[in-house]
Amino acid sequence: MIDRRKFLTTVALGTASAAFLSACGQSSSPAQTGSADNPVTITYTWWGNDDRAERTRKAIALFESKNPDIKVNGNFSDFAGYWQKRATEAAGGGLPDVMQWDLSYLRDYGQRNQLLDLGTVKVNTDAFEKSLLPSGQIRGKTYGIPTSTNAFAVYYDPAKLAALGIAEPDGSWNYKEFNAFLTEVGQKGNGTLFGGTDYTGIWWNFNIWLRQNNIQAFTDEGKLGFSKDDLKKWWNLTADLRGTGAIVGEDKATQLLPKSPFGSNVTATEVTWDNFMAGYLADSGAKELKLVPVPSDDPDNLGLFLKPSMLMVASAKTKYKDAAARFIDFMVNDPEVGQIFKTSRGVPASKTQRDGTTFEGTDKLVVDYEKSIEKYLKDAPEPPIVGFGTLESTFKRVTQDLNYGKLTVDGAVDVWFKEAEDLIKQNA
Amino acid sequence: MTQSPTLSRRAASSAPSQPRKSRRRGADARAGYTFLLPWLLGFIALTVGPMISSLYLSFTNYNLFDAPKWIGFDNYVSLFQDERFLQSVGVTMQYVVFGTPLKLAAALAIAMLLNSKRKGQGFYRSAFYAPSLIGASVSIAIVWKAMFGDSGPVDQGLSFFGINLGGWVGNPNMTMGMMILLTVWQFGAPMVIFLAGLKQIPADLYEAASMDGAGPVRKFMNITWPMLSPVIFFNLLMETIHAFQIFASAYIISNGEGGPAGSTLFYTLYLYLRGFSDFRMGYASAMAWLLVIVVGIITLIFFKTSKSWVHYSGDAK
Repeated sequence: MIDRRKFLTTVALGTASAAFLSACGQSSSPAQTGSADNPVTITYTWWGNDDRAERTRKAIALFESKNPDIKVNGNFSDFAGYWQKRATEAAGGGLPDVMQWDLSYLRDYGQRNQLLDLGTVKVNTDAFEKSLLPSGQIRGKTYGIPTSTNAFAVYYDPAKLAALGIAEPDGSWNYKEFNAFLTEVGQKGNGTLFGGTDYTGIWWNFNIWLRQNNIQAFTDEGKLGFSKDDLKKWWNLTADLRGTGAIVGEDKATQLLPKSPFGSNVTATEVTWDNFMAGYLADSGAKELKLVPVPSDDPDNLGLFLKPSMLMVASAKTKYKDAAARFIDFMVNDPEVGQIFKTSRGVPASKTQRDGTTFEGTDKLVVDYEKSIEKYLKDAPEPPIVGFGTLESTFKRVTQDLNYGKLTVDGAVDVWFKEAEDLIKQNA
Repeated sequence: MTQSPTLSRRAASSAPSQPRKSRRRGADARAGYTFLLPWLLGFIALTVGPMISSLYLSFTNYNLFDAPKWIGFDNYVSLFQDERFLQSVGVTMQYVVFGTPLKLAAALAIAMLLNSKRKGQGFYRSAFYAPSLIGASVSIAIVWKAMFGDSGPVDQGLSFFGINLGGWVGNPNMTMGMMILLTVWQFGAPMVIFLAGLKQIPADLYEAASMDGAGPVRKFMNITWPMLSPVIFFNLLMETIHAFQIFASAYIISNGEGGPAGSTLFYTLYLYLRGFSDFRMGYASAMAWLLVIVVGIITLIFFKTSKSWVHYSGDAK
């Protein structure tokens, strides 16, 4: 006969083992391909603002209507949080099936076998410039397909300059002239409008300046190709501007996050990638924004290049390789996707998509800008070194500390170099 | 668990023979552990296991993707050469040293106000407790950020009185004040515990003191404080440990970067950044273990010093 205690023991054991068994039972593998009645669901994640989210949703809806056997679950975040989430997911083996990717992180994940070799699935790259594809490849394997290209540029808001009575720049300027321009805006803006953000805080801008001076940022062995003196020169470029109206203070800029000062109508200019146009227009509500080349002390060498503004990648562990490949192919090649995104991801990299897209207004400005700098363009950079994302964000952080007056230029250079050398040693 | 000795004693009295007694005790234990099993499994799989593996990882170079490489004490050594690490220690210590006492003082003060029989006490108690329920949430951190921004309610309120500080969020000298205010505002949880403690103090002690002509300060120092000291000690310990672990609000307010100028780079936030932004999980594990050790030492010091100021009823002292 079962007494009370035995009964309770049995119940407790039973409950525990049932919970344990049901936890184990969920790993049965679902079907690899779907059908219209029983579609497979793939997950897709990207970074960006509301504007991009809206466009991406439209693209996903279009994809689903053309491919009734696949459903796409979309999810997005801002750029900084994006990479922390991916790291957590990668550690747990649960990266989304398809992801928007940045060149800075391609080596970190590609070299560590987290990304699917897209050479093993069907993604059509016939319509791509052959010089662009290597930037998505590491050691002969294709981990990312560029959606589009972008180039560095100086944005300005013509209406704001007109209101201050300042002539529009034509982009044929050296650093001294550019600084003078920022200073003039700051003086006339009188505390409500600033010249721009500290342009020495952006790694890629520094990279362009290095190219202008014929210095390679990273050697082929994955070491730093520039010296402490080079970086000192760079951060000293805006030394006299910090704390004046030429550059918006960090205390202001921090509070505007996640929007940029330029998108918040606090500055008249911004030096960054040309595909930010759509985002800036949506954020600021400005009627029109224009683009001119970055300053250079050598008028024949602007140091500019076309970079894949973003890539499409798939997780190495995806169960739906075929569905993932079809979605990537669709996002990079389909002309209607081009019509949805216009230049908000950059100028479409695939000729099929580019030719199928009509560029008007500001989108035409971006396309025209990339045409206008064609003769200055050099090769796209290779995927940067492992851990580059950290170096890029440290670069920005250290410049912020410079602007807060917490670091001197010499101190900032030491901090950044220590971080870089640690990291290169770490990943050697 | 406290039930089982009584049960066995009763069992023993009904069946006095020795073997039977121990068999029953064994059966009790079996039943007890069986009921504990779900919790024990969770504790071992989700807490002890990860802790042991993190101890191992703290002696390795581990980037989340490749196999960990054993490097001995290198992580611990390089911690002390890392200026950002030292900064994060400084930031966290500031927060613990100023935030915790202020929070406890606020909790005790409000608890004493609420410890009287007036109409609507229940409502006030709930109202004061509410912030500690929602205070750690993401939405409150976002609200806080908006309140302390340029031209936010705090800035405007202070400007009304002629104090022009501007936004606190972007000013490295003000962010710590903002974070401390956020934790002080969540005084509800220790307050409830204080309130329960205050109710345990016999009213006749105060009556006798009044008869002898003791004022409110005297009563507080000589009755409330000593009688409440075990509760104060408990709250101090819990809140200190809790303060070391601040993460979510700092993460939200600084956009996950510990800015401006590293002024909200709390220990756990830096640990997270090292682990998940920089993929240096070994380094982050070393930081985690250092935190465990330091919090352990501080707890030990608290217990040692508590003998001189914490009075338990029934003590000879």
